Amino acid sequence: MSAVAAVPGLAATLDAEGLHHRYRLGRGLEPVSFSLSAPGAAAVTGANGSGKSTLLRIVAGLLRPTGGTCRLAIDGAAITVGQCRERVGFASPDLSFYDELSVEENLKFAAEARGLRDVLRSVGETLDLIGLGSRAPERVATLSSGMKQRLRLGFALLHQPAVLLLDEPGSHLDEPGRTLVRTTIERHRRSGLVVFATNDEQEWRLADQRIELRGGGLGHPA
Amino acid sequence: MPTSGSSFGAAVWAILRKECRSEWRTRYGLNAALLFAVTTLTAVSFAVGRLGDRTDLLAALLWVVLLFASLVSLSHAFVREVEAGTLTLLRLVAAPTAIAFGKLAFNLLFLTVLELITVPLFMILMGGPPPRWGAFLGVLALGSLALASSSTLVGAVIAQTRGRGALFAALCLPILLPMLAAAVSGTRAQWQAASAGAEMRLLASYAAAVLAASVLLYDHLWED
Amino acid sequence: MILRALLLVWIAGALIAAFLWAPLVPGLGETTRVLYFHIPSAWITVVALAWSMVHSLLYLGRRRMEHDDHAAAAAELGLLFCVGATVSGSLWAKAVWHSYWNWDPRETSIFFLLLIYGAYLALRSAIESDERRARLSAIYSAAAFVTVPFLMFVVPRLYFSLHPDPVINPQGRLDMDPRIRVGFFAMMIGFTGLFFWLLSLRVRIARVERGRAIQPARAMT
Repeated sequence: MSAVAAVPGLAATLDAEGLHHRYRLGRGLEPVSFSLSAPGAAAVTGANGSGKSTLLRIVAGLLRPTGGTCRLAIDGAAITVGQCRERVGFASPDLSFYDELSVEENLKFAAEARGLRDVLRSVGETLDLIGLGSRAPERVATLSSGMKQRLRLGFALLHQPAVLLLDEPGSHLDEPGRTLVRTTIERHRRSGLVVFATNDEQEWRLADQRIELRGGGLGHPA
Repeated sequence: MPTSGSSFGAAVWAILRKECRSEWRTRYGLNAALLFAVTTLTAVSFAVGRLGDRTDLLAALLWVVLLFASLVSLSHAFVREVEAGTLTLLRLVAAPTAIAFGKLAFNLLFLTVLELITVPLFMILMGGPPPRWGAFLGVLALGSLALASSSTLVGAVIAQTRGRGALFAALCLPILLPMLAAAVSGTRAQWQAASAGAEMRLLASYAAAVLAASVLLYDHLWED
Repeated sequence: MILRALLLVWIAGALIAAFLWAPLVPGLGETTRVLYFHIPSAWITVVALAWSMVHSLLYLGRRRMEHDDHAAAAAELGLLFCVGATVSGSLWAKAVWHSYWNWDPRETSIFFLLLIYGAYLALRSAIESDERRARLSAIYSAAAFVTVPFLMFVVPRLYFSLHPDPVINPQGRLDMDPRIRVGFFAMMIGFTGLFFWLLSLRVRIARVERGRAIQPARAMT
């Protein structure tokens, strides 16, 4: 098995208590509580504007929530927001790459900045995994939206995170692309934790737990 | 988890290389800054002519040119990331402090390249007396460090706001005033055969203070 | 209510004492009276800045919006007092030294404070989100907090080399006649009271505005 595909079997747990976020104009995330543990997968579902992306950003350590708690622990040890970076793989539609750099250069930059030991091997294997090996030297600006989505997936997997957070992973993807997403989720959930936000019912079936978000103009949650 | 020990250093170095590569591919920032510096210099030279003996004016004008060129270009390090939407990527691969120092290192390099072209041009056009190289370069180096440290921090702040160019200048100015005054004073002193030691010490401690504050402040910069 | 009335009486009393009871400083003539406004204004400018900066740091540490309210309110008031101090100082300079602006250390310092206030408030007005505005302006405030002290070291050096004939600044360096001293300190206390009273009003307004901004979001059916 290649190094990227083998996910280290770390016991990750993710607990949220009354987690909520309020944006200025009233949109946001209504209070939500859940408890997840690896191995496994959870699907975050809800209408547009219910806060799926917000929730994932909070868990990834990108957004400080207005209130509530969100605790990520690996092997019992709590992970601080700063440490999230190393343990969490995140991909969302608004994740952009450096247009003036090539696919390979973007991934190499990510690997080097993260301090990965074998940069070339990690990047090479990731490229093979997401099927962009032939596109490696091309500038990101020339990629189609589907290829960019694959790149996002690769970026999230590059450092073999214990927790994978995917926001709308199947967007812009053709059938082979969606298959890639499904195999990735299936493989990762065997030892790690996957949390993905989606409105695709086929993807829901991959999860053993569902976090349903209400709110976003639909009234107060129950 | 295949990570090496000091990922801070690795991140700073990776960011610096990435910035250089991006800058080289687009060459937008350096072109604009150089053009601006040369234009300003030309305008001043036309207006004032040669100032062979007015070392006080020479010192002031040199730093005014460098300041303006900085105000025009040093915010791009962060504004570019925000405009391209790549800030999320950056935040996911490196700690805030690493991002800060990576960008600072780039801005310093940028400023150095700018000065390598602007300073000799200045001497030639304005007709300054030969400087006492040790003191002159010392003030220039420490002043640039002070200039870059503050500008990078302010750049990171304004990149997340609606007002970019004018706001950057407005915010930088009060913070840079002490550094500017010391740099001008020091540059003048070395031309007047006086000691620039006090000014260099002030610039060094100013830079140290800003860098120390940066280590604490950058962690709060990106939370959404 | 009582405190407000007390403040009014105090300041009125101080003004009366200043104009009718205290003597003039020899050499300054009637322009002496300016010191009862100018120096307290400058004093409040510095107090307001310190208050604002401390609350900015407290916000970064504790993340409570009250600290941001205080930081912003103190900055707004500080700007007002700073403009007052600058203008009164400039007019006084014209009357005594026949020049509106000399770039002497005090004038340079007050101008510098004006720039800081202006920059801070300009930054705040460029950010929509409450939380981001509080956080970014607190960071800028902290950065200014770190660099302001350096001006104190630089200005004297710059001043002495640009102006070889030091202009003796009478403010604060005179032995004051006891009656002037009484009026002067009374005004200092009065201005301080005025500042904190206005500050409390402004903070309360900010709190109400924030409460009202959240309400519409709740009223969704």
